[in-house]
Amino acid sequence: MSSTDGSNAERTTASGLPLPVFGAAEDVGPEAATEAPGSFPYTRGIRAEMYRTRPWTMRQLAGFGRASDTNARYRSLLAAGATGVNGVFDYPSLRAFDSDHPLARSDVGRGGVAVDVREDFDDLFAGIPLDQISVSLVSSQPIGAVVHLAMFVQAAQRRGISTTALSGTSQNDFLMETAITIAPQALPPEGSFQLECDLIEYAVTELPRWNPVSISGYNYREAGADAVLESALTMTHAQAVAHEMIRRGHAPEAFLSRISFFLNAHSDFFEEIAKFRAIRRAWAKWVRDDLGVDHEPSQRFRFHVQTSGVSNTARHAHVNIARSMTQGLSAVLGGTQSLHINGFDEAVSIPSEHAAMTALRSQYVLLHETGVAKSADPLGGSYLVEHLTDVMEERVQEVVAQIDTMGGVVPATERGWVHAELSRLSFETQKAIDDQEQLIVGVNTMNDGEDVPVEIFRLPTDTLTKQSARLAEVRSRRDSRAAAAAVEEVGQAALAKVNVMPAVQRAVQQDATLGELGTVLRTSFGLWDFPLW
Amino acid sequence: MVTGLRGHKAVIAKLGFDAHWRGVIIIANALRDAGMEVVYLGHASAEDIAAAVVQEDAILLGLSTLSGNHLGECPSVMEQLRAAGADDVVVVLGGTVPAADVPVLEEYGVTAVFPTGSSVPELLARIEKLVTEQDVARQRAG
Repeated sequence: MSSTDGSNAERTTASGLPLPVFGAAEDVGPEAATEAPGSFPYTRGIRAEMYRTRPWTMRQLAGFGRASDTNARYRSLLAAGATGVNGVFDYPSLRAFDSDHPLARSDVGRGGVAVDVREDFDDLFAGIPLDQISVSLVSSQPIGAVVHLAMFVQAAQRRGISTTALSGTSQNDFLMETAITIAPQALPPEGSFQLECDLIEYAVTELPRWNPVSISGYNYREAGADAVLESALTMTHAQAVAHEMIRRGHAPEAFLSRISFFLNAHSDFFEEIAKFRAIRRAWAKWVRDDLGVDHEPSQRFRFHVQTSGVSNTARHAHVNIARSMTQGLSAVLGGTQSLHINGFDEAVSIPSEHAAMTALRSQYVLLHETGVAKSADPLGGSYLVEHLTDVMEERVQEVVAQIDTMGGVVPATERGWVHAELSRLSFETQKAIDDQEQLIVGVNTMNDGEDVPVEIFRLPTDTLTKQSARLAEVRSRRDSRAAAAAVEEVGQAALAKVNVMPAVQRAVQQDATLGELGTVLRTSFGLWDFPLW
Repeated sequence: MVTGLRGHKAVIAKLGFDAHWRGVIIIANALRDAGMEVVYLGHASAEDIAAAVVQEDAILLGLSTLSGNHLGECPSVMEQLRAAGADDVVVVLGGTVPAADVPVLEEYGVTAVFPTGSSVPELLARIEKLVTEQDVARQRAG
């Protein structure tokens, strides 16, 4: 019997990859038998011993209210065994608007922490050893990221911590600003990408342990992409960064190893594992064969994973613990470098302390109890997983080629192709759910029975008042003329296509606010309408 | 099959700074497929939302937010609709809304709330009923 015979021959993965009834030896390419973890093309992991010698970083996302509220959550997570900090900002802060902006008021301190001035970064990281703990700044959008990093660096310097000791990541992803999230007054893709590369350039020369970009597949997936498009956008975005950095005169060996990636762990278990393995291999091959770079650290695809928020349900929310656990397991079996497991209340509110701690402890169940971390790439050689890895790589390369014909990911975004694809795929997914082709427990199947509601985490109510007071205080005590002049220099640098980071640093030193810097950058680059509708 | 929405007009908007567009575009597409004329505003202030409802003579206003800003933003939208004399529009809200907030939103004048995970066919059927009732009421009012 061949593996594709039988009544279930039509089955596919969530992203449409054909599935055999069972995996068989003939489904697997010859390389699978000889590859080893830690060697090119790194299908089996970027290090030979993987978690045996270095467990993944346990980095639970947190951010709400004011910096002091979030600082308390960081400390309790670290005390409970988190091994990295993962800080998320509220929407006005991501978009570089001040908290007291009229459009911002209902979103201040929601979905992330509110930051406006450099003192907020002092409070955010108070008592956290920034020379020992790596900090991921989920400054998703370049317009916010350039200012957040300047404020973060100065907070460290004021504590006497050398910039060379700072380790961590800025998310800094132009697609977050132009395709994945929508917001009033967005920058055009080209301008946002220019800022992204400014930050990368600055960190490559000034912050030797900082990952200046976290190329995000995660958010494309949450917005509707399937695993193939998630991987293809991730690849083409990283390729665009590489080309731009080379154009700016940087040697690939100097910056490629500093690019980090951020992927989604969605629900289709084996497809996700195949995705992690396939993209790692595709990246290594591109770096070696297309860029001609033999430097091994440059070929290693290092990534963070978050479990899928969109897969979680508001009804029967405790079942999300099971969903997130299997998703987290796929990330570990796929060889991730760091992991966030979602709180079970993700579909209802930002995580309560209880939900965040449960998620963190779930990571320790994976590490200490399941045994899956003891051998590298435990699924290597599985007929099914190796086969899916090969097919996933092929499919991803097809979409990469399609994006290349449009001139790359920046033009593809400008012309609305990315938006159209995300919109089409998310509509198809919704239809599959409504037609019961895709079953979701508690939504369109097994949804009987009494729901046991989760407790809603209620945010502090004084964030807007206190942030507004701090802004007023800073504006009144600073040298306003010097601050305004420093802000103006940032605008001039952006217009002249000179790296804005030194000017941003000087403006932050003069107590310019995040919103003032956002405004000047929006003025310099102009605004852009999303090609969404 | 929903047919009662044909020829009617909807204005759709995102509230505050909320950045998630997946849900709102799915619903905008579904309403358009059901025959509605859909005006998608993107992010808009309460004043601009009310002005668009008046200008388009919309029968349905769809608001979307997943950031939790609904209790802050909905009262301003309702206030602006009243000020513009457009509070006979059917207002629905979709997104991440805790069950406990639904009665509060209804008190503000939001007619229906569709939390994440809502079934699109059920949502369309409910909106069809609301729009049809409102259409009858408008015609009676002359």
